[in-house]
Amino acid sequence: MTKRLVIKEAFFTWLDSLRKDYRLFGPAGREIQTAFREISSSEELTMGYASTMLSPGKLFIYKPKEELFTFRAEKEIFIDAPPVPGEKQAIVGVHPCDTNAILYLDRTFLGGYRDPYYEARRKNSFIISLNCSAASQNCFCSSVGSGPFLKAGEGCDILLTDFDDMYLVETISRRAEELFNVRGKAAGRKELNIKSEKELSVLGTIEKKVDVRGLDRLFRANMDHPVWQRTAEERCLSCSNCVMVCPTCFCYNVVDESSIDLMSGRRLRHLDACQDMRFAEVYGGNFRQQRAARLRQFVTHKMNQTGQYGVIGTVGCGRCITWCPTGIDLTEMTKEIQGT
Amino acid sequence: MNPLIPVGARITDIKTEIEEVKTYTVSVDGVFYARPGQFNMLGYPGVGEAPISFSSIGQNGSFRHTVKAVGRVTKFLEGLKKGDRLFLRGPYGKGWPLKKAEGRDVVLVAGGLGLAPMRPVIETILKERPLFGNVTLIYGARNERQILFMEELRRWGREISVRLTVDEVLYPRSWKHNSGLVTDLLDKVRVAAESAIAFVCGPEIMMRFVCRGLIMRGLVQSHLFVSMERRMKCGIGHCGHCQHYGLFVCRDGPVFPYDEVRGLPDGLL
Repeated sequence: MTKRLVIKEAFFTWLDSLRKDYRLFGPAGREIQTAFREISSSEELTMGYASTMLSPGKLFIYKPKEELFTFRAEKEIFIDAPPVPGEKQAIVGVHPCDTNAILYLDRTFLGGYRDPYYEARRKNSFIISLNCSAASQNCFCSSVGSGPFLKAGEGCDILLTDFDDMYLVETISRRAEELFNVRGKAAGRKELNIKSEKELSVLGTIEKKVDVRGLDRLFRANMDHPVWQRTAEERCLSCSNCVMVCPTCFCYNVVDESSIDLMSGRRLRHLDACQDMRFAEVYGGNFRQQRAARLRQFVTHKMNQTGQYGVIGTVGCGRCITWCPTGIDLTEMTKEIQGT
Repeated sequence: MNPLIPVGARITDIKTEIEEVKTYTVSVDGVFYARPGQFNMLGYPGVGEAPISFSSIGQNGSFRHTVKAVGRVTKFLEGLKKGDRLFLRGPYGKGWPLKKAEGRDVVLVAGGLGLAPMRPVIETILKERPLFGNVTLIYGARNERQILFMEELRRWGREISVRLTVDEVLYPRSWKHNSGLVTDLLDKVRVAAESAIAFVCGPEIMMRFVCRGLIMRGLVQSHLFVSMERRMKCGIGHCGHCQHYGLFVCRDGPVFPYDEVRGLPDGLL
């Protein structure tokens, strides 16, 4: 693990040279919204972005839509497994919350049964994370320990911190050390002190805070708290925006598509949301028919249920708040319960 | 191995049990180990998959599923014939804790189709009868026409205590058993309550009252086990559909100790 200060120009030249072996993805675009997408040159990058609507982990590693296999009918049905994704990709500019979100998805897709599509992409993804230099109004990462700076060694190959015309480049993984061959000034105590000061200054701009201690017990004792019913009735549209933009929401649905002559087809999965009316429906009933129950499922899954993976379900990116058409804020709902 | 790609299997026998319910004997190439209480994702490419528990587990890669035709996949299965292929993934989930039941009195309570996942339990017990104490099966169905496995119930009655009830009696002259809810029969169970173990499978609302009834009769809460049903798409703890307040019913269940799932939100237990 090395830490050095590298002139930005030199860093981006190195990044562009990666395109020889890697597809390159990063935050791009300045108009209206910065979004993660494939780039053909580092000049397209908007590294100073605040937040994106969609997280890189759920765009390029856990794909919104994935073909599981194709099938064809001859004398019998034959199933053809797709090739394991083999393309190398580098994702640059991943904020600490989104880096932690990838670690969270690892728990789902690599924790017990391993999802081969996710696993292959995860292995083939070279992740260059970027510590935040500013907070958005809905960020609450500091309350859940996932930002605004990444704890060393977590989830990425390289970690960047903005030092004006330079980056503090920390190589985390072995492959990063092999790959990152740009010379720079070795960072000493002074530079690391500046890094700590930068972290403190971003921390100071985070306005949204929520105390997550003891939420497991608190929620269990407040399953009938009026906040669920009231928010569901007055504001929640069950539109699923919160789930779709959430970097840790992992649920998917499986659908089979057949050709018009029924001789071939494919099975694919795509993102699904617990806010959908039929999500928990079974023969003879629906375990979350009430909108309030579905809203409560989302909020409690994010804010507690640490029993599932031993960690809190949110990374504090605030996207569900930003993109809720009626401005439902899960931290406010939590605080209302805490206050009663 | 890719857990999302199903393997082909052959239907070697089909038996119509009751209206809309058939038992499919299925065999796969090679070895297939499954435990009572586990399930397969049964389906067909182009149609979909549904979680179906084992209603019997044989040797040599052969097993049975008892399925009611109510949804897209199960209605498709209903149209299959002996010799047809189907596709499956599994076995998945945690089964009934039969090891824990050894040396104890056992109470089995099933409602409706809930008898299907219970059948491999009973078959195991009958095979190793001396390992278990008094065994009682309480089975309730809507009416006489909805009773599953009638022949087996008679046969099982020779080795374990079998008590039947129906919600409504259609043929009062020929019905020699009980009528009313399964909970009404709990009083008739003769067990060493403090050590007995109970397996319960049926509609969730029935399991709620059966478990409470068993506790009132002295059984220990941690000795009660229930088999739960939730919507499932993957069976391997990924798709999230079966999440029950932090638990994945497919992976952590479908058989749960009652005290692990009692009182969870969006459930009836």
